[in-house]
Amino acid sequence: MTPAPHRGKPESGWAGRFEDELLRLGLQPGRARELTEETTQQAAESATAPDALFGPAHLYARHLLTELNTAPHPAIANPNPRPAPGPGPYLDPGPYLGPGPDLGPDLGPALDPGPSPGLGPGYGVGHGAVRLRLAGVSKRYRRRTVFSNVDLTVRAGEVTAIVGANGCGKSTLLRICAGLVRPSDGTVHRTRRVGFVPQDGGTAGWLTASEHFTLFGAAAGLAYRRARSTGEHLAGRLAWRPAPDQLAQHLSGGTRQKLNLVLGELHAPDLLLLDEPYQGFDQGTYLDFWRQVHAWRDAGKAVVVVTHLLHDLQHADHVYDLGAAA
Amino acid sequence: MVIAPRPWLHGFLDLCLLAMLHERPDYGYGLAQRLAAAGVADVPGGTLYPALLRLEQQGLAEPSWHPSESGPRRKYYAVTAAGRAALDTQVAEWHQFRDGIDQLVTAGAAR
Amino acid sequence: MTALVVAALSAREVGRRRVALALMVTLPLWFYLLRREAEGQSIRMLTLGMGWAVSALTLFVVNGSRSVDPRLRLTGASTLDVIGGRLLALTGGGVVLALGYWVLVLADQRPDRPWAAGLMMVLTAVVAAPLGSLVAALLPRELEGALALLSICAVQMLADPPTLAAHLMPFWSFRELGTYVVDGADAGYLWRALLHAAVTWLICAGGTYALFAWRLRLPRYPEP
Repeated sequence: MTPAPHRGKPESGWAGRFEDELLRLGLQPGRARELTEETTQQAAESATAPDALFGPAHLYARHLLTELNTAPHPAIANPNPRPAPGPGPYLDPGPYLGPGPDLGPDLGPALDPGPSPGLGPGYGVGHGAVRLRLAGVSKRYRRRTVFSNVDLTVRAGEVTAIVGANGCGKSTLLRICAGLVRPSDGTVHRTRRVGFVPQDGGTAGWLTASEHFTLFGAAAGLAYRRARSTGEHLAGRLAWRPAPDQLAQHLSGGTRQKLNLVLGELHAPDLLLLDEPYQGFDQGTYLDFWRQVHAWRDAGKAVVVVTHLLHDLQHADHVYDLGAAA
Repeated sequence: MVIAPRPWLHGFLDLCLLAMLHERPDYGYGLAQRLAAAGVADVPGGTLYPALLRLEQQGLAEPSWHPSESGPRRKYYAVTAAGRAALDTQVAEWHQFRDGIDQLVTAGAAR
Repeated sequence: MTALVVAALSAREVGRRRVALALMVTLPLWFYLLRREAEGQSIRMLTLGMGWAVSALTLFVVNGSRSVDPRLRLTGASTLDVIGGRLLALTGGGVVLALGYWVLVLADQRPDRPWAAGLMMVLTAVVAAPLGSLVAALLPRELEGALALLSICAVQMLADPPTLAAHLMPFWSFRELGTYVVDGADAGYLWRALLHAAVTWLICAGGTYALFAWRLRLPRYPEP
């Protein structure tokens, strides 16, 4: 084991920030220390400063954890693939080809069509761990029952779509998962680190995008500069460069939703709850969005998306039909 | 330095690393040089090192420490039995893929 | 600290609404100018107008952030950070405004006790902000909140000081202080005013925090 880096040397500032970010992202201190020492040694063997080789410490920390949690080749990690019940044959196109089976619109509640296309459910750290569990959850407003007896389990490395007709309570259910609304009955178990992306609103019209990053970053405990650079990096993944002076109210609907997405994941949550987040998206952005969702899934996060678009179902691992459960 | 994702290499990077390690054990920087020399890609550190750590995590490569002439000791990786099995599977898939594409390209070019 | 960031960004947000700011700054001036001949009245009206302006601004700022605050809570901020930050920004802005007017009053008139005049204005600003946020906490809809605030201010202006109704009004303290400042009354007025201001502030700020702690509460869902 190499000795701990001396804090006097110039690169050790990078190593310190790297380790801090790993700890902030939820890694055990021992493992964070290990990874920091490894990474410092890797830079040393290339005779390059870590900053030049890997980029900013806090961004590389996120990147590294995402890569380490990414699913391996299915043939190695999944010796007993789950057989797919339900309609349609199960195809495993492997990591090279595109989307998998197209699911029909008639789905019962909690139908499990099997692992989704792409690299499959995350097998990295914390695979399959339950991130959200609803048992017997109901919601009533005065005399009206919105829904009752909802059972839902969402695991790490999976994408769950919640579908149903308008007015069946999809948004309310998601808000219960987030903790913004209290259920009338039932229990909710949920991991602590959660991100919520509303259908619209949720932003401050008179602030710029960068100021939003600063604000939400501060709420998450991020320093101002780090919050801004993380926000801009995440925005880049959605093909968006926030203009420095543009107020949020002057953003187009689709761009404001990109802002909402970035704000939802800024603090690196383990569970992401998205309420029809694609309002105003053009086709390119829509594809970027699903690529982002797949990236989250492959990185071992759990994602729940409320949607009314049938087209979305091919991207999901599980589909829960709230209308059918009513 | 910008961490640019290379989607087309990403699926093949593990394959290349396992193949190189199978040929002879090496350390990170050495592997990067070999990839560049083979004309495959100029892989940035931010892509290469996480991939190596992932292989180690999955038990496909085994690390060992060796001193180097220039000072800092290096972490060498060697392929394990599981790694060799994975390599074989991936090589078979690669051959199938490559042959399929070649076939389509040749058929298209023959016109 | 998160509260400071919230405060700074709140201030920036409000600062961009130039017209609103201009109206807010000039509203008390109208009160002052229209009562300028009656020296005592003018200072009192100026202060009352400032109290209106600051509490109305706070009401709208707090209501306006209703969609952002729950998300901030989910991201990890505490209720104190979020609400405290906004109150801090608006109280600070109100105090700056008060000091500005104080200079104006000093230059324009020569009240008997100039420092007490300043105290009166600053106290009013300090009490006005949590008053606005309390109304926002009780009535989250903008129209209802604005009407409630208007009613409070109207009663404040019209009720006679010795009556119970006036005592319950949040700005009673400044009227007492006003008597002290302008009419050369004894120190008893000063201490009563300070006490009333402190109690009012505690009720308003405490009530605001309690209500928002309840509104923005997040359930402790256990880990699955």
